[in-house]
Amino acid sequence: MSVVVDASKGDLRSVSAELKELIIEEAVTIKESGHLHGLLAGFKGGELIVEGDSGDYLGALNDGATIRVTGNAGRYLADNMTSGTVIVEGDAGYGAGQYCYGGTMVIRGSAGDFTGVMNKGATLIVEGDVGDEVATYMLAGDLIILGNAGANLGNYLILGTIYIGGTWASLGHNTLLEDGLSEADRMKLRTLFDQYGVEGDPDSLTKIVRLSERPFYKTKSAEPPEKAPLPAPLG
Amino acid sequence: MPSINGAFCVSVMKDRCINFQMPGKCATCAEVCPYDVFVMDDSGSMHVQNYNGCVGCRICVEFCPEDAIRINAAESEYLVRSPWTFSQVEEIHQKAQSGDYPLRGFGTMGFSPGFDNITVVPSQISSPPPLDKYREECDLAVTIGEDSCENPIRLKYPFLIPAMSFGALSKEAKMALAIAAAQTGILANTGEGGLLPEETWLSRGFESQERTLKQWEPGGYLAVQWSTGRWGTSADYLRSGDAVEVKIGQGAKPGMGGHLLGEKVTEEVAAVRGIPVGTDALSPCRYYDVQDLTDVKRMVAFLRDVTEYKVPILFKLGPSRPYEDVKACVEAGADAISIDGLVGGTGASPAIVTQGVGIPTLALIPPSVQALKDLGVHHKVKLFVLGGMRNGLDAYKALALGADGVGFGAALEIAMGCRACMACHTGRCPYGITSQDPELRARLDPVEAGQRIANFLDASAEELKMLTMLSGHGDIRELSTEDLRAMDINTAAISGLKLVGHSTALPWWDNGRMEPSNN
Repeated sequence: MSVVVDASKGDLRSVSAELKELIIEEAVTIKESGHLHGLLAGFKGGELIVEGDSGDYLGALNDGATIRVTGNAGRYLADNMTSGTVIVEGDAGYGAGQYCYGGTMVIRGSAGDFTGVMNKGATLIVEGDVGDEVATYMLAGDLIILGNAGANLGNYLILGTIYIGGTWASLGHNTLLEDGLSEADRMKLRTLFDQYGVEGDPDSLTKIVRLSERPFYKTKSAEPPEKAPLPAPLG
Repeated sequence: MPSINGAFCVSVMKDRCINFQMPGKCATCAEVCPYDVFVMDDSGSMHVQNYNGCVGCRICVEFCPEDAIRINAAESEYLVRSPWTFSQVEEIHQKAQSGDYPLRGFGTMGFSPGFDNITVVPSQISSPPPLDKYREECDLAVTIGEDSCENPIRLKYPFLIPAMSFGALSKEAKMALAIAAAQTGILANTGEGGLLPEETWLSRGFESQERTLKQWEPGGYLAVQWSTGRWGTSADYLRSGDAVEVKIGQGAKPGMGGHLLGEKVTEEVAAVRGIPVGTDALSPCRYYDVQDLTDVKRMVAFLRDVTEYKVPILFKLGPSRPYEDVKACVEAGADAISIDGLVGGTGASPAIVTQGVGIPTLALIPPSVQALKDLGVHHKVKLFVLGGMRNGLDAYKALALGADGVGFGAALEIAMGCRACMACHTGRCPYGITSQDPELRARLDPVEAGQRIANFLDASAEELKMLTMLSGHGDIRELSTEDLRAMDINTAAISGLKLVGHSTALPWWDNGRMEPSNN
C-alpha cells in the first residue's frame, strides 16, 4: 500500500508542505486535488500519482519527479518542465507541455490548443488528437502526435521535430514535410514507444521540420555597413 | 507660422567643390536647385546668390558629386518644415529603399510631459523646519514584502535596477550592475534572458562562487525575471533569486515581446537562454500559459510555492492603463509593482513604438497611487516608477507623488560610459555595454563600471536625501504632493499638483483624488 495524501480539504501551500515532508521512497498517491492549481511544481524527484482529474499547471517546472494522472489533466500541464516525466491516462487541457526545456510528457488521450508551444527540448507524446496552434515557435525537442492536429501546426518552427500519425487542418509558417524517417528517427521513436508503452508504428508517422533558420528577420551580415570613402583632397 | 524664407544656411566647402578648383566645371547644384540658390557667373565660378530662397530640401546635397554642400537650419526644422523635416524625409527614403522599418534602442527621445515642470517646495518658517543633511539623519530605506514573505528585501536606497537581459547587455555590463547593487544595497534584476552565474554571487557582494570573501558591502539582492519567452527558466533559476519578477510589459515596447536578434545570440548567450546559437530570440508579447487574471493568480501561487513562500513576487508593467493594471497586479498577489513609462526603454524596439506608444512616466503615478489607495495597500504593496529617471531630483518628485521608489535603467548604462548613440540593437556598442563582441566587451571592466554605477547611485541618493531634508522631512515616507508644485497648467492637470501661486489643485482634482479613468 503506497502513501496516500487526501488533498480534498487542503490549499496549495498545506498540501505542498505535506508532500514535501514525506520521505519519498515509494509512490505517493494524492486524492481529490482537482481544486489545486500549480500542484507538484518544481519537484526534483519521487513518484507521485494524482488520482482522478488534476487542476491547472500540474507539475509546472517539474525538475525530476515522475507524475501520473489517472484521470484528465487541467490546463498548462507540465508548464516549463526541465526534467522528469508526466503521464496522463486521460486527456489534457489547453496548453500542455509549454516552455519545457527537458523531460517527457505522455498524454494517452487527446490534448488541447497550443500544446507544446515554445518547446525547447522536451519529448512530448500525445496518443490522441491535438488542437490548433500546436508547437508554435518550437525551438528544440520532439513532439509526437499519433492522432490528428488542428490548424497552424508548428507555426514558426525554429528547431526540433514534429512527428504526426494522422492528418492536420493546416501547417504553420516555416514548416517543411520531410520524405520518410531516417534510421535514427525510427530508433528514437521505437525506444520511446517501448519505454512508455505507446502503441504505434514509427513508419506510419510523417516528419515535419523547419523550413529556414531565421524566419523572422533576414540574415544580416555581421560586418559593419560600408562607410562612404571620403573624397580625395582636390588640387 | 514662421516664414520658410531665410530659414536655412547654405555653405559650400571649397576644398571639396569641383567648380572652385576648376572654374567652369560642374554646375550640378545650380542645375538641380528649384529656387536658384546657386548661380554661375560669366567667368564660370559658382556663387550662392540667393540663400534666403533655400527651403532645406537638400536636393543639392544629394546631387553634389563631391559632397561639398551643407544645409543647416537657422531655425528649428520643426518650426519651418514640420511635418516634412529632413529627418522625416530621410526616414521615408530609407523605408522606400529597404522595405524595412527602423529599429533602435534607448527609449523615447524628445519632449513629453515630464518632471521638469515640477518644482520642489522647500521648508521655511510656516512648515516644519528643514533638517541639516550633514548632521541629522534621514531614512531612505524601503522594504519589499515585509508582511508577506519570509525573506523580505531591505533596500538601503529607494532604488532598483530595472530588468535588462544578458544577451541585450554584455556579460561585463550585467556583472557591473550586480556589483553596483551589492555596493549600494539595492536590487539587481536578471531580465528575461536567463541567469548569468556570476550575477548570483556578485549581486550579494561576493567576489567568487565560493562566497568566502565579501568584497562589496552591504551586499545587494537579485530579482529573477519570469517572462513570456521563459529563457533559461527552471525551478533552480527561481530559487536562486531574492525575488521573482513577473514581467507583463516594458516601456520600450509595451504590448510587444523582447527582440534579441540572432546577431547577439552567441554561444554564451545561447547557453544561458537554452536555445540554438544565432537564432532570433523573440519573446512572445503575452504569456501562452495565461488566458485571464485567474490564470495569473494561479501562476503567482505556484511561483510562491516553488520558492517556498520566502521571496517577494514583483510585477513589471508597461505604460498602459495604470489604474486598472496596478489593481490587477495587486489582485494577482504582487508585493511590489514596477511601472515603466513612455520614456523608459533600453531595449531594441521599432522606432515608432519606442517613440510613440505608451503613457508618459509622470502621468502613470497619480492613477497608480490611487489604485493602491483604493485597495488600502498604498506603501504596503510597493510602487516603483521607471522610465527616464535621471537623478535624485526625479526620484524625489516620484516619491512625493506617492511612489515608494524608482528604477534607473538608461542612466546606469550612461554611468557605465554610454553616450546614448541608440545603436544598442546592432550589437556594436563601442563601450561594450550592449555588445556580445569579445573585442568590444574587453573595453568594459566590470569592477570599474560597477564602481561608476555605485558612485552615480550614491550621489543620486545624496541628492534625494538633501531634497527630503530641505523640505523638512527626516524620512522619505513623509514626502507628499504638498512638497511639490506644478509650473505649468498641463503639468498641474496631469499630476494633480497645485499650480505655482495657487492654493488648490485644478477643479477636477478633489483633494488629491482624481477620477480614476484612463481612457
